[in-house]
Amino acid sequence: MNFLNISCKKATYLVSKKEANKLSWLEKLQLRGHLAICSLCRKFEIQSKWFSEHAHHAHIDAILSPESKEKMQSVLKDQ
Amino acid sequence: MNQTLLNPDKWVDRYADALYSYTLPRVNDAALAEDLVQETFLSAWKAREGFKGEASEKSWLFTILKNKIIDHYRKKAKDIVQPLADKDPSDRFFDEAEHWTPDDKPGDWGIDYSAALDNKDFYRVLEACKNKLQQIQQSVFVMKYMEDLDAAEICKALGITASNYWVLIHRAKLQLRTCLEKNWINL
Repeated sequence: MNFLNISCKKATYLVSKKEANKLSWLEKLQLRGHLAICSLCRKFEIQSKWFSEHAHHAHIDAILSPESKEKMQSVLKDQ
Repeated sequence: MNQTLLNPDKWVDRYADALYSYTLPRVNDAALAEDLVQETFLSAWKAREGFKGEASEKSWLFTILKNKIIDHYRKKAKDIVQPLADKDPSDRFFDEAEHWTPDDKPGDWGIDYSAALDNKDFYRVLEACKNKLQQIQQSVFVMKYMEDLDAAEICKALGITASNYWVLIHRAKLQLRTCLEKNWINL
């Protein structure tokens, strides 16, 4: 055990921090070393990055009721 | 007022559904989403003199709406911010040595991560998974990944420290990943 050895819990924490370029030089070394030997944390990195990027486009095709739209229209008219 | 650039009479017809569809997954509350759309139209109406036509009418309305959504999270933060719990549901993903447990280790998703995603199921499941997170985790996730604010802005808006922020993001991602794997990949 030395200061370069980190756990999966720590590695996954650093993965999130890495996205924002907030890793210190020591953390970079720790994460690089861990990911080199841990396929599970590599998967975590790929998957969490993937769904976080797609979250940006979250969109649900929803439609307002005609009553709601009428109300909005009349509120605007009253201005 | 720039009559040629804006058509307030048509706003509701043209944009209400699009604004509402955008808001709903970001606030998880139909009545609140409707209110935010209504407020967007009102604010836009009041600010119409300042519209210079640099952006389209539609993207201008979306900018106003996005500010309303962030404001909502800012106000809500006062009620929900609490000290970080030492114990969290995401702790169960790791054993005593802080390595993945067999039940919760990341599995093979068997998808092409570089392909475009056009999948309503994904967004439906993501939405359901997000709703299971603690309120404060949801706020952080929406502001960071759905509204693209940076960490410093989010900490300021929610009144949390940078280290709390990283812990919240970490826990939210662990739980979302597992929830997506169980409910979307393994549909």
